[in-house]
Amino acid sequence: MKLLAIIKLTFRESFAKKTFMAFFGISTLLCLLFLFALNLDIVDGAQSYISIFGAEVDQLIELEKIVLGVEGAIAVALFTAGIFLSLFATSNLIPSFLQSGSIDLIISKPLNRMQILLGRFIGSILIVAFNIFYLVITSWIIMSIKTGIWNWGFLLSGVIIVVTFSILFSLMTFLGILSRSGPFSLMVTYLILFISPFLLQRDRIYALLSDKIYGYILDGLYYFLPRTAELGVLTQKLVRGIDVYSLSALWTSLMFALIMLGASTLIFNKKNF
Amino acid sequence: MYAVETLELTKYYSRGKVKALESCSISVEKGKIFSLLGPNGAGKSTLIKILLGIVFPTKGYAKILDQDISNYKTHSHVGYLAENHRFPDFLTAQQVLYYFGKMSGMDTISLSKRIPELLKTVRLDKWASVKIRKFSKGMLQRLGVAQALINDPTILFLDEPTDGIDPIGRREIRDLLKSLRNMGKTIFLNSHLLSEVERVSDEIAILKDGRLIQKGGVDEFISIKQQYQLQASGGNTTIEGICNRLDIPLQSQNGFMNVSVMDEVQLNHLIDELRKNQTIIQAITPRKITLEDYFIEILESGDNQ
Repeated sequence: MKLLAIIKLTFRESFAKKTFMAFFGISTLLCLLFLFALNLDIVDGAQSYISIFGAEVDQLIELEKIVLGVEGAIAVALFTAGIFLSLFATSNLIPSFLQSGSIDLIISKPLNRMQILLGRFIGSILIVAFNIFYLVITSWIIMSIKTGIWNWGFLLSGVIIVVTFSILFSLMTFLGILSRSGPFSLMVTYLILFISPFLLQRDRIYALLSDKIYGYILDGLYYFLPRTAELGVLTQKLVRGIDVYSLSALWTSLMFALIMLGASTLIFNKKNF
Repeated sequence: MYAVETLELTKYYSRGKVKALESCSISVEKGKIFSLLGPNGAGKSTLIKILLGIVFPTKGYAKILDQDISNYKTHSHVGYLAENHRFPDFLTAQQVLYYFGKMSGMDTISLSKRIPELLKTVRLDKWASVKIRKFSKGMLQRLGVAQALINDPTILFLDEPTDGIDPIGRREIRDLLKSLRNMGKTIFLNSHLLSEVERVSDEIAILKDGRLIQKGGVDEFISIKQQYQLQASGGNTTIEGICNRLDIPLQSQNGFMNVSVMDEVQLNHLIDELRKNQTIIQAITPRKITLEDYFIEILESGDNQ
């Protein structure tokens, strides 16, 4: 299958550039940290003490609540670190693919341009998905064995991290096609990632603005750009088993990804190499 | 049916400020070696890239194997070696051929037979499992040729295939191209090495500033009509005298005498006169110039206009 060849080649590139192994190494390190740093001592289904990274929590609380709370916090940490690492590890995959002398050869093969772009996009997502699920599943197994509480909701954090990465990677793909620069696409994507919590707090910013128009701009940005901060909160809620009443952050972010992918395909289809 | 046909193919960049190709109409017969010549920036690579869908034309129309160039499925019958091609340097030679073969739609069983054959053809069989980052320019170029042949294409587009290759390697590629032509393949060649082009091509086209300025068979380019090279003994003054009398221009060049006659009748008249004057004629051959001479001449004449 022609598309599969592009996906495999993307995997190989990630291996060759050591980004895959570095990602895998960091994930393993994090898992080892959970294995040794998270100390849960269980007596008859209740917690006598829990110490996380050496700090003791000495109130008697129902164990499941504590474990879910800890797992929720870990999921948010994994969400932030996972997205940050994933974007960094894949930032050059689109620009390197578009180098003159390389893309020419691929276009000369019996593949349409959409297939070529899709192959690279899926390959990059799969690299990240592999590493994220390795990290999430291993951490989940370690925590579950140590606490005796198998919180299946924790696994959903892996899904949300990969989906959030895919949304941001669609932006990075768009920027990569436009600029053919890995660092540029990465910087802009990080900017979008980091302004998300500020946009969430835009109600507090309104008072500081000199004109209403800036308020409308902030609103526009809030609804158009990926709402990664809220996706982080969503991850925490899913892990802790808290009811989720609105998935609008997920839908609008997915809409953004579709727009970015559509625009990327359009530009890539018309680009001269 | 032609292997390649273009009609008024035009490519402008920067909103028409840069004219890479202008109204280029060519047709290439199947089973021939067609070479495109021209100085740097003449539009040779642009033409190939348009034909392969890498660059989109501003105007005009083109077909490969009777299919519109927008039909990417035709590419399964096409092989392409790009100028300054760049393979992923973390792959070995056989992996490069495997992945590019897969992208061409080949199955693993066919590839397992085809890859060793091709690596042997381009003398890289001993380097099959070596990462290509260790390859020299010439080796990469030979690998590029193998990659272009991986899907056993009907038509082959080669952009500077002998670039960086040593004389032995060049001869091997030349022989390979000839054998491919004998197998009925069409070859579309871009090259700066005019002596190579002269030896293998059936047809040549010259591009300059994006315009097609001449096209024809190799002989049409290198033979000069009604000029003959004369080798004779019997004294130059006698020959000069006879030529003067018959009003035939005579030029001496590199120990040979070049005569320009109006037609074969005048040539025979000259021969009769020389024989009458006891001149021993050793050879009379139609005068030819090298493609390089012709190429430079035509480009310079264009500059002077």
